Amino acid sequence: MKVFGEIRHEQVKIGGESGKAYSSLRSTDLFSAAAIMGILALIVINKAGGLIYNRTFGDGLNQLGTNDYLVLAGTFHGVHAITTRLSPIKPQQQVGADGIPGRPDPPSGLEVLETENFWLQCFNTLTGTKFLLFTDTLQTNVDIAMRKVYDLYADYVTKNPFYQLENPIRCDTFDRKLNSYIRETNNAR
Amino acid sequence: MPVQVYSLYIFDRHTECIYSKQWVQPATPASSTLPSTVTDQHRQTNGTELAATAAEQLPPKPRRNKGADDAKLIFGTVFSLRNMVRKLGGDDDAFISFRTAQYKLHYYETPTNLRFALLTEPGALSMRNVLHQIYINLWVEYVVKNPLSPVEHKGGEGVRNEMFELGLDKFIRGLM
Repeated sequence: MKVFGEIRHEQVKIGGESGKAYSSLRSTDLFSAAAIMGILALIVINKAGGLIYNRTFGDGLNQLGTNDYLVLAGTFHGVHAITTRLSPIKPQQQVGADGIPGRPDPPSGLEVLETENFWLQCFNTLTGTKFLLFTDTLQTNVDIAMRKVYDLYADYVTKNPFYQLENPIRCDTFDRKLNSYIRETNNAR
Repeated sequence: MPVQVYSLYIFDRHTECIYSKQWVQPATPASSTLPSTVTDQHRQTNGTELAATAAEQLPPKPRRNKGADDAKLIFGTVFSLRNMVRKLGGDDDAFISFRTAQYKLHYYETPTNLRFALLTEPGALSMRNVLHQIYINLWVEYVVKNPLSPVEHKGGEGVRNEMFELGLDKFIRGLM
């Protein structure tokens, strides 16, 4: 356990010095790299495409300025809307038990994005709020993590009497609960 | 494992769609199945009426060139996502695919900014190697090495040659 801790410490140092050295290290030494990876960031986008929450947990992603995150949220919102319209097949007409044709499921937008360095899981709530969870490529059970994050949001943000919907989330309890949950999941690997 | 492939789009470095192909016909709405059987009867009885019935069968308000619109939307999507991914994951990061509940889009970009986008069923595994094979075995062999093909494929010129089309169709049908 002590040796393991030392490896972690050294990796954090390398990662801080140069992103390049870090990414090459990550591909060669998957096991020890996994120790500081896992869930990398969470972004919450409101139904108008505005960024309302943004937190990074690991150093697997480039650090961006606040403006860049705002642009990213807006871009993703637009792309998500386009991806719902691109389906090459017509939705299946669903027939209910009484023989009356039901309404087909609305097309879902982008759900999972896969890149060489990370995965992005998007959860779109019925009210249009989007939760983007960035994880490394080895992370499993992202659905469960997403569910938990949404639970925390429902419990500590929407039930906060001082929180106004669609506005930036500034809730200490949510921050604390989220941080401890993410730390727990990332350390469990 | 068979994979249902929906369509393939190729974009050149000038962001123009130079090739697109569909392997599934967009399903016709249930209401239009009846007129089509009527058309079949017409076809059997009177061949000259064929053109007229086909014209009647067009939807009341046809969309202007839906295929070209789709290609532009797909290009916009992959372009935005690629830039987003490179901003977050570093310049050496590459966007591989994204999935919705209806389809999965696989993306491959060559160093010369030639872009391939393949739409498949959502459960498909990574098709990156498939796109890579299309690039080396079909694009390079039949388009790049074709002495009659122009350097720039404006409007898809030089891409729609018989060898490329046949090879591509055979390759994709082999996957399905």
